[in-house]
This record gives sequence, C-alpha cells and structure tokens, in this order.
Amino acid sequence: MVEEVKSGISQLLRERRPVEEPYGEKGYHLSVDMAPKDLIDVGRFFKEKGFYLACALCVDFRDYLELVYFFAHHEGHCRVKVTSRLDPQAPYAPSLSSVFGSALWYEREIHEFFGVRFEGHPNMAYLFLHGGIDFYPLRKEKVMVSEEDRALLNSFRPEEGEDTFFINLGPQHPSTHGVLRVVLKMDGEYIERAEPVMGYLHRMHEKMAENRTYLQFLPNTGRMDYLGAMAFNLGYVTAVERLCGIKAPPRAQYVRVIATELNRISSHLLWLGAYLADLGAMTPFLYVFDDREQILDILEGITGSRLTYCYFRFGGLFNDVDEDFITGVRRFIARMRGRFQIYDDLVTKNVIFINRTRNVGVITRETARQYGVSGPVLRGAGIAMDMRKKEPYAAYGEFDFSIPTGSYGDAHDIYLVRFKEMEESLNIIEQALNGLPEGPIMAEKVPKKLKPPKGDLYHVVETPRGELGIYIVSDESDIPYRMKWRVPSFANLMVFPELVRGCLLADAIAILGSLDLVIPEIDR
Amino acid sequence: MIEDIVGKIGQEALRLIIGLVGVVAFVVVNALLLTWMERKVAGHMQRRIGPKEVGPFGLLQPIADALKLLGKEILTPKKVEKPLYYLAPTLIFIPALTSFVVIPFDAYLQVQDINVGILVILALSSLTVLSILVAGWGSENKYSLIGAIRSVAQNVAYEIPLLLSLLPVVMLTNSLSLKDIVEAQGKIWFVVLQPVAFFIYFIAAVAETNRTPFDLPEAESELVAGYHTEYSGMRFALFFLAEYTNIFIVSAIATTFFLGGYRGPLLPGILWFFIKSYLLVFVIMWFRWTYPRVRFDQLLNFSWKMLIPLTFVNLIITGGLLKL
Amino acid sequence: MGKEILPVRFAVLDKVLNLARANSLWPMTFGLACCAIEMMATAMSRFDLDRFGAAVYRATPRQADLMIVTGTVTKKIAPVFTTLYDQMPSPKWVIAMGNCAISGGPFAFEGQYSIIEGVDLLVPVDVYVPGCPPRPEALLEGFLKLEEKITKTRRFPGPEKRW
Repeated sequence: MVEEVKSGISQLLRERRPVEEPYGEKGYHLSVDMAPKDLIDVGRFFKEKGFYLACALCVDFRDYLELVYFFAHHEGHCRVKVTSRLDPQAPYAPSLSSVFGSALWYEREIHEFFGVRFEGHPNMAYLFLHGGIDFYPLRKEKVMVSEEDRALLNSFRPEEGEDTFFINLGPQHPSTHGVLRVVLKMDGEYIERAEPVMGYLHRMHEKMAENRTYLQFLPNTGRMDYLGAMAFNLGYVTAVERLCGIKAPPRAQYVRVIATELNRISSHLLWLGAYLADLGAMTPFLYVFDDREQILDILEGITGSRLTYCYFRFGGLFNDVDEDFITGVRRFIARMRGRFQIYDDLVTKNVIFINRTRNVGVITRETARQYGVSGPVLRGAGIAMDMRKKEPYAAYGEFDFSIPTGSYGDAHDIYLVRFKEMEESLNIIEQALNGLPEGPIMAEKVPKKLKPPKGDLYHVVETPRGELGIYIVSDESDIPYRMKWRVPSFANLMVFPELVRGCLLADAIAILGSLDLVIPEIDR
Repeated sequence: MIEDIVGKIGQEALRLIIGLVGVVAFVVVNALLLTWMERKVAGHMQRRIGPKEVGPFGLLQPIADALKLLGKEILTPKKVEKPLYYLAPTLIFIPALTSFVVIPFDAYLQVQDINVGILVILALSSLTVLSILVAGWGSENKYSLIGAIRSVAQNVAYEIPLLLSLLPVVMLTNSLSLKDIVEAQGKIWFVVLQPVAFFIYFIAAVAETNRTPFDLPEAESELVAGYHTEYSGMRFALFFLAEYTNIFIVSAIATTFFLGGYRGPLLPGILWFFIKSYLLVFVIMWFRWTYPRVRFDQLLNFSWKMLIPLTFVNLIITGGLLKL
Repeated sequence: MGKEILPVRFAVLDKVLNLARANSLWPMTFGLACCAIEMMATAMSRFDLDRFGAAVYRATPRQADLMIVTGTVTKKIAPVFTTLYDQMPSPKWVIAMGNCAISGGPFAFEGQYSIIEGVDLLVPVDVYVPGCPPRPEALLEGFLKLEEKITKTRRFPGPEKRW
C-alpha cells in the first residue's frame, strides 16, 4: 500500500516527491511537503484511495507556519504526513472541508489558535475560545487578532425561522456528559439541525505542554480523559520512550497492559451506567459503580490514586506490583464474569432498551471514513480497526484477543461492542497475569532530564474511546516544542450533527450517549 | 352545647366535615410516608441504605424536607405569567384531594358514597392534565412547555385505556358506585375474572401518574425538570405531593376494582385496604428503579395501537360472556 | 434573606429550620470535570450520600439549595455559572470541590488565558474540599462541615477529635 500511495502522489505532484520515513521512529510511512494550492488535489487523491483524515494541526516555527495533515487507512497499514508551509504574516490556505468533513472543525481550531485563514470554509466562528481573547494563543510570539478576523470569530448566531425554535442542551447537564452545549433547531419534537458548542472546559493543555518539561506534563495527561487516564498515560509515556529510544523492561510492559485494561473496563462500565441513566434507568448506574469500586481499590493499591493516575514513568513504572495486587485481580476477574450475566438480564434483553437503541443513529462506513471516527463507534459500524492489534505497543502483540464488531452501526450495536470489549479485556488481563515475567520494572540509564533528539513523532494508542494520536515536535531541549493530541471524542462528536438530523429529541440523547464523549479531552 | 352545634349543622354535614378533615390529614401523612418509602425502596434496590441519619430509620427525613421547602425564599421569576404560574400548584392538588371522597377505606369509612363514584374520580383526574399544561405554559420556559405538551399528549392517550379497562368491572357489577363494586367481590376478586383489564389498568395508571417508564414529561436527562422547572420551595412541594397522592389514588382504585378493596379475613378491613394499596404502590416504585424510559412516539403507539384495541376486545368478550 | 415580615426572629424556629435545612441539602447537578466522577461516587452505594438526606439531585437550580462546584471554571462558562447561582433561591450554599475550584489547581500557570483561578472569585464559597480529585470520604467530610456550619453542632466526631 505504501508503494502505491508513493507512486500515486509522485504522479500527482510532479515537482514534490514523497519521502519514505522509518515507521518505527516516526510513526508514519511517508511524508510529503507541498505548496498550499495542491492541498485539495492531494486530499481528493487520498479520499479516492479510501483514506481518512486522522488529524490536522499547525506548528509555529517562527519563520513559517507549518500545516500538518495526517492521512491513515482503516484496513491497510499506511500513514502519510502531508505538510505545507505558510507565511506567518499572511497565512492563507485552501480548506479541505469540501473533501473531508472532519477538516471542518480541525480548521476552525487552527484558525482560532494560529490565525490561519482557510478559504472556502463555511463557518469560521470560535470553537474553543471565548469572546474575550484578543491574541492567537498558540503562536510563539503574541500576535493580535485583526478586526475582520474578530468579526469572523464572533459570527456564531443561531437564526430563527418560522415554526422552529432553538433549544440548548447543556452546558449544564443532569448526567455525565460534562460541559457540552448543543444548540438544537427544533420543529416540534423533531430536530432539524444540531450544532455543538465546545470550549467550556478549555484548560490549555497544549499551551502548558510548551511550558513544562516532559515529566512535568505527565499529570496533565491523566486529566485530559479522566475515565481512561491510564490509556492516555500509556500513550504519552510510550510516545516519549519511542522518541528517545528507551525500551521498558518486559515486566513493566505486562503490568502496563494489565493496568490499562483494568482502566478500560472501568471506563466502559461507567459508560454503561451513564448511558442507562440517560435513558431513564437509574439502577444499573449504581451497580456499575459498585464494580468500578473494586477496580479502583486494586489500582489504588499500586498507584495511589483513584481516578487520575500518574503511574507510568519514562522507562517503566514507579512502583512494583505485589501479591495483593495479583490476588485482587484474580478475584476481580472471577467476580466480574459473574456480573456480566446480571447486566445481560437487566439491560441487554430489556425490550424498552432495545426499542430505544435499535436503528437509532446508524453510522455507515462512508460516514465513518468521512469524519475519522474511531473506537467502538467505528467497530459498531463494521470496520474492525483496533490500534492494539493494528500497531501494537507495550506488549499487546503477545496476547491473543479478538476484536468485536457490529453490523448495523446503530446505538445497540455500539453497546454490544463495548460489552464484548469488556470481556476481551478480562481475557487479556488473565493472559498477562499468567505470563507475568520477573525482572526490573524500570529501564536502566534513563536520563533525569530527558532531552529527545530533534524531530517529530506521531504515536497512536487505543483508548476506551478510540484512536488517540500524540504528535510531538522536539527541538532537543527538555521542553516539547509542540505537542498535539488527536483525541477520539473530537472526531466522534463530528458525526453527531449528521446523525441527529430528523430525529426525535429522545433519540438525540441516545445517540449522544452512545458516542461516549468525555468533554475535557475534546476541549483539551 | 355540642348538641346545639350538631343540631344546627346537621348530622350529615358534621360527618362530611370530619371525613374531609380526615382525608386531608391522611393525604399529608401519606405523601410524607411515600417520599420516605421511595427513597428507602430505591436505596435497597441499589444495594445501599437510604436515609438513615435523620431520625430512626430515616423516618424524620420527609419532615426535614418539608420544613426546608417551607423555609425557602419565595421566588417568582420575572417573566412568568403570574395568574397561571400561581394557579398551577393549587390546581394540581384539587383532584388528588377530592378523589379521596369516594374511596371506601372500610365498609363504613367512606366520606360519601356517591352512586357515580368512579365517574367523579375519572372526571377530576383530567384536571391534573390541565394543571400540568397551565404550569408548563405559565412558566414561559421552552423546556417546561415541551414537558407540558408531552404530558398532555400522554395523559390524553392513556385516559382511554384507563376508562375502558374499568368498564368490564362496571358491567359485571351493574353499578358505578365504588362501595357496590367492593361488595360484589365477596366470592371472587375481579382480578381473577378480568386479568387483562387489571394489567391494562395498571399500565395506564402508571402512565397517567407520569412515572417511569412513562415519565417523559419530567425526563431529567433531556428536559432539565420538565413542567416544574421554574417552581421552587413550597410550590414545588405541592407538585411533589400531588404526584405521590396520585400514585396512591390509582393504587387504591386498582385495589377497589380488582383486588377486593377492604375485604379479607381476620384483620380489620382498613388494614387489608392499606396492605393491598401499598403493595401496588411498591410495585409502581419497583418499576421506576428498574426500567428505562419509553420514547415518546413509542409511548403513543403503544397506547393507540395496542392497548385500546385490546380493551375493546376485552369488552366485547366480557359482554358476550355476560349474555350467555 | 428578603423582606422581614415581623421585626423579631424566633431563636427556636431558626434552630429547627436550620436543622431541617442541614438534613435535607439538595445538590444541583453541576459536574464540570474529573471531580464530578468522585462526586457521583460519593452518591453511590459504597459511600452513600443519601444517608444524610442529600442525594436528591435536582437538575434545575430553582429546586436545589447546594451547588457543588466540581472542576475547573473557565472564562467561557463563567456567565452560565453565575446565572445558575443567581437562579437558586436562598438559603443556598456552595462547596468548592477540588483544587481547580479552589484556586485553579494544576492549570494555573503563568500565561494562562482561559481559566478562573478559584471559584470564590465569582460566588461566595462555604466549604473548600481540597484534593485532585478529593476522595469521596473527603467530600463527605465537607458535607459534615457544611452541616456543622449551618447547625453549629456536629454529627459525627471530627477527625481531629479522635486523638
């Protein structure tokens, strides 16, 4: 596939040729640099080949602004980095939103953080920032917002039509959605249009990454997705290890897998309870927290925290596991297998639940490719892509587990996929426990001040929500130059406005719940 | 002197006044008891103990809630339509109170045995719908309005199966008076003769009282708090109380019509009445903590396309069997 | 507290009302970030907040009397937040849970442009519960402290009185 893409782009671009990169060090196979005007042609080329836009970001290199796009494929194994340089005084680029739907929000984000103007983009209003900001936050020097840009940014005004009216869903929710506001244009009980408004929890993680050393940034990763904090920790730690060329010892890798899978189960359990609470059944919410408390007790024994972990270190772990942990996990596995029957009886076979979730929010493969959906939402639509199997990291390659997929892509299938994923996670934990090797938990010769070599890296892991991409640009100092987090909930939320068109309000809640969003990771 | 007062008012009137005072007292005590019961039942179903610290077994909890609601600031939002806003809480309480007049607690413990007893109750229960609509409209709030509209559609749709499922019992006893219906269950309870009617009545009753799985008008995760979003303090308490009183009334009617009312061996009648009614109340609470919510169009489909035809079939079969 | 109807206040009535208010604090669901999960865990079976009569979460501010601020308050949500606080009828209380609500937490750094460093810059706070996130037991202790603040008596002996 890599060869095919390389020759295809060479034919398309004649003057610029793609460069093959070492996948093990960089995380992508090809990189192409081009002029801004060729972006749309290249985008169309990738769309024909069945690629999806994984991420679009911008890096401020002081002399120039570099737009970076990552294209990846669901089934094949090929990731291409497309870059384009812009003049910092007049940063104009064509918009890819006509080709890939996911470019809509990525470009809005780049616009408000860097000031890049995308021509042809339908809506350049504020995405994350609020109206009082008068500079572009992620630029290295302070660049003020021009008057016309300010008018563009403040241009979000829901209009009124006859017989329709607007409802705000949030930002205060009586459920665990978090601070997401969705402006719904309603026609009676049916929804005509939905527009999510984000940024109510924008906590400047990317700006903090440019002001903190690699180790100081580690606690931030847990706060981004507090339900799957281990997975975010794991992603960050393995990314930096890959960048610096450090290898963690096998025992540390196995324990990392066990901890991450336990966290995955607890995240899916919470999703289950919260989803049912949204649909009106209060009791599974409490049963779920019961099971979760067992996991939290086990993890608290080794990490010291219940929710926002900071367990991994560059090169291994900071604390070894003991006998209590192993017996606790074995007991938990036995107990959890019995609990699945309860949830099956209470939820899966419940007629009201099936009626609420069957044929609700159907995601087709084309939609999934258009928006870059990942995780259980993607697997519910029938595409079996799991980063643990596709690009294995941290000892996942040594375990034998299957990837559950659905067939219709509706909310019920997504629920079943998550349910089966919990069972698969139990299998992985069992295999890891049985094969836990002895040995050190920390690699030797890890420098105290970590100074990665110059370059960049795009590392991908599988969090409970989907594909997390971490892009680090390093300039040989101990502070990252730029760190971009491609979070799964952001891409999953992009599908929402398309799915709810013409639905009832109750269906919109069911769809929003099935996407399993965690707002702090969207808002970063 | 007492004889003079009694003579002036008349014995009937005195009996009526005592009965009404008793009813009001019962309604208040019942509402307090049901709030406690709901939280305890919810707690135990969810593997925890409900209120425990406030008094023994948490029995003083409803009193604490009531006192707190009494002591809240009386807040009227600026934009509401004042007459409608003030009217709604009182209006919702009237059918609840007045329905108790005809319910037979025991053979001689009925405030007034009106000979069209069940018609009185059914007619007054439609006032509940009106008051919900008034509350939703008067609050000048989009969410309240949506909640009120949903509630009106739901209540109208489920009044019909409610009524039609009580009709076979009326046909069997040839009387609309509640006392006669209870007396007619001397040999066999009507739940044995009319099981389908009992289930339909129960489902329609749960829908009428806006309880889960039919609690869309107050769907928390969708509509903030539905039609009583803008009410605070004592006004909100009245909505709360009216809901629990309605639950008891529908259970009492189910007991009267299908489960033999106050009939039963050994224990005094009133005790049997309470045992049966509170058992049904417990089942209604059980539903709330087990099932998710039904979607709106599925709700209406269920009533119009399934329940009503079923009641008609039941009526025809009953009529046919009676003729034979 | 609004206009006084009579020019005198009755001490016994105040005491009884305060006791009732402390035993029936109804929180409003206002979970912003990570601390919200720990707040939910406090209301669940293991740490059961309902024992104290406090787990009737009301979604509308008009029927709630306690606002537990769980998570970082950003400048974008500050107007929403103060509107919600104003909509609550008095008497009302605020518990600031977590380091972000107390002082900006781990997100207060030089050059920050988006968060409000501490929710007491917006509303008066009654109890501060530190932690990132605080354990459910810590939130329960915060509740008991709030009850102590309202009624001037304490339900269980505090941690410092044990030794």
